[in-house]
Amino acid sequence: MDMATRKWNKVVMLLVFVFPAFAFYTAFTLAPAFGGMWFSLTDWNGLNPVYHIVGLSNYAEAMGDRFFLKSLWFTAKFVLYMLVLQNVLAILLAVLVEALGRSKVWFRTIFFMPNMLSLIIGGFMWMFIFTRVFPYIAEKTGWMLLDQSWIGDPRYSFYAILALSLWGGVGYLMIIYIAALQGVPQHLKEAAKIDGAGAFAVFRNVTLPMIYPALTIGIFLTLNGSFKVFDAVYSLTGGGPGRSTQVIAINIFEEAFSFSNRYGYASAKAMILFGIVVIITIIQLAVMKRREVQA
Amino acid sequence: MKKAFHLLLALTMIFTLSAACSSGNNEGNSGTVSSTAASTNSNESNSGAATEAPPKKVELKVFMSFPRFKDQFEQYFSQFKEKQLIEKNIDVTIQLEMPNADQAKQILQSRLSSGDAPDLYTLHANDIPTYYDAGYVADLTGQPFVDKLYDAVTETVKYDGKVAALPLESLSWGYLYNKKIFADNGLTPPQTLDEMRAVIEKLHTADVKPFLLAFQESWIPQLMMALSLGGTVSSTYPDWIEKMNAGEASYGDVRSVFDIIDIITENGTDKPFETGNEAGSAEFANGNAAMWVQGPWNAETILKVNPDMEFGVAPLPVSNNAAATMINLATSTSLALSPTSENKEVALDLLNYILDDQDSSALFEELKFNPIASVHTYEVFPWVNEASEYVSQGKAYLDLKLPNGVTDETAKLLQSYYIKDVTQDDIIEALDKVWETAVKAN
Repeated sequence: MDMATRKWNKVVMLLVFVFPAFAFYTAFTLAPAFGGMWFSLTDWNGLNPVYHIVGLSNYAEAMGDRFFLKSLWFTAKFVLYMLVLQNVLAILLAVLVEALGRSKVWFRTIFFMPNMLSLIIGGFMWMFIFTRVFPYIAEKTGWMLLDQSWIGDPRYSFYAILALSLWGGVGYLMIIYIAALQGVPQHLKEAAKIDGAGAFAVFRNVTLPMIYPALTIGIFLTLNGSFKVFDAVYSLTGGGPGRSTQVIAINIFEEAFSFSNRYGYASAKAMILFGIVVIITIIQLAVMKRREVQA
Repeated sequence: MKKAFHLLLALTMIFTLSAACSSGNNEGNSGTVSSTAASTNSNESNSGAATEAPPKKVELKVFMSFPRFKDQFEQYFSQFKEKQLIEKNIDVTIQLEMPNADQAKQILQSRLSSGDAPDLYTLHANDIPTYYDAGYVADLTGQPFVDKLYDAVTETVKYDGKVAALPLESLSWGYLYNKKIFADNGLTPPQTLDEMRAVIEKLHTADVKPFLLAFQESWIPQLMMALSLGGTVSSTYPDWIEKMNAGEASYGDVRSVFDIIDIITENGTDKPFETGNEAGSAEFANGNAAMWVQGPWNAETILKVNPDMEFGVAPLPVSNNAAATMINLATSTSLALSPTSENKEVALDLLNYILDDQDSSALFEELKFNPIASVHTYEVFPWVNEASEYVSQGKAYLDLKLPNGVTDETAKLLQSYYIKDVTQDDIIEALDKVWETAVKAN
């Protein structure tokens, strides 16, 4: 066989191996995405077999939609909090777990377990905690701080949703950071200690730069996931009361399937969300990749 | 050798997959063949009245959004199966799907638009126009059951002059009140806003919460608006809906609807957003509040918690005009037939069987639905009688038919109104806009 055929064979082999996963991906992710793009240009109501093309008027309308913009703002606030809190907590937990001796694996499992539960189930569990357990504890111990309307009061429901998302998401990032921490060469840390650096200084100047790639991934995942948050909010507050905790995904979901059933308009809003996430993550990845350090 | 083995393995997997996909089709046929063989044998051994031909196998897909009535309907359908087998020699298999009410709409819509329509499905009567225009509802005028229905009820499922569905849940409702609390404090259901304020005063002095607030599920606060708007429009602005549809009116014209809503929200239980429908029913059944703006469709849930609880249905006052205090007559869930059904005759038989002369009464009694046809002869519950009295006095109106989406928007806005996130003006503006969009979209 000559070089060209061998190369071709190789490509074909790779394609064949990737094919099953690619087929599923195309059928269940790509095709609906293209479908969504198509429907965003129509006024389909999700039911009627007849619909009309309305071009970009859906997009223009979305820009002026008061509730959509409000949900964008609310989601942005949520993303900011999540970004900082989730990564800080994950790094903290990773450092703590790594510093443990024999119970390392046990604790790793425990902290990762919430991630394995569906957030909807977690939501119901936390709903029970917020509405029944907290008031009970508050009564018994007198910690009135706990006796708020965690679900009903918009000031507190934000923190309730934050708590649930953190509980579910930190474990996953923690695992990534643990893996990164294990890749930091021991001799660098020892050298720093010999030079007289304290634990915190070692962490800041040696460990942190070495786990920078993991930080990139962690921030990317958090950004990506938090913008699309749905399960946590849906199961705790449903976007309520009213629209006070409505995130973008819920706004789109309700637009498409309740209210006036404006599937086409909702698809346009979904495309806008997609655009926002793509732009932000591209910028984030570009900025952070440049600053990565190799060992 | 190894290569051949791996190739064989791969081919086996591919063939298994394709076999699994197509076996769905084949199973149906082989099933019929074997049952035909079996029944031919049993027929041959049966001398006398049995027909020669084997029973035709028919499968019906029925979609109902009442998971709480699963047992009753399954039993009723098996009665239907027997009847069909004896009378028409058709062996009916009914595939009953019973999703939760809040997901039912989405599931149904996806099924309908993907061409996988169930033969019979439940539909909220207010959605009939949308689904009919989209071509998913068959015309049922002239079916035997139509003659048995009460006239007022038939009106609620008619669209464009045609009967579009079979009404199941027909209700007369206002608000529920705890008879014991009212009796203990010497109260009678108020007929005007001033009387309502007096009732509330008395309840406060007796240290009883006047209203139960359970706003977690957004459809419950929306009931306040439905009653308030219904009473106001039906008594004082009879042509408001037409004017709204023509863009000549506004919710600002009926701003007085907020009066009773304010009264209710200011005199209610705490933490309404942590109380859903179930929790609310439990609290009401345990006497935590005197009144609850809810309908008797919750009767079963309430009585499950406290079977001795006595509650009544009373019309909600909306102004100081006693004539505006009326009962709301509505059909909520109805059963529609899909025009693309492959087994129309059997489906129609099942539909008509729901209002069967002999068996329908027992079914409706078990479901605790209101009687809607002349074949219903069961004892109605005391609260139904109470509501029906108001109806017979003429103090009732047909539930307003609002455009698609206005009700959902009202639900959300009233939740926001409670937490003071929006003002009355905001609500008026938003509802006007939604109405306008909905009218344009149709």
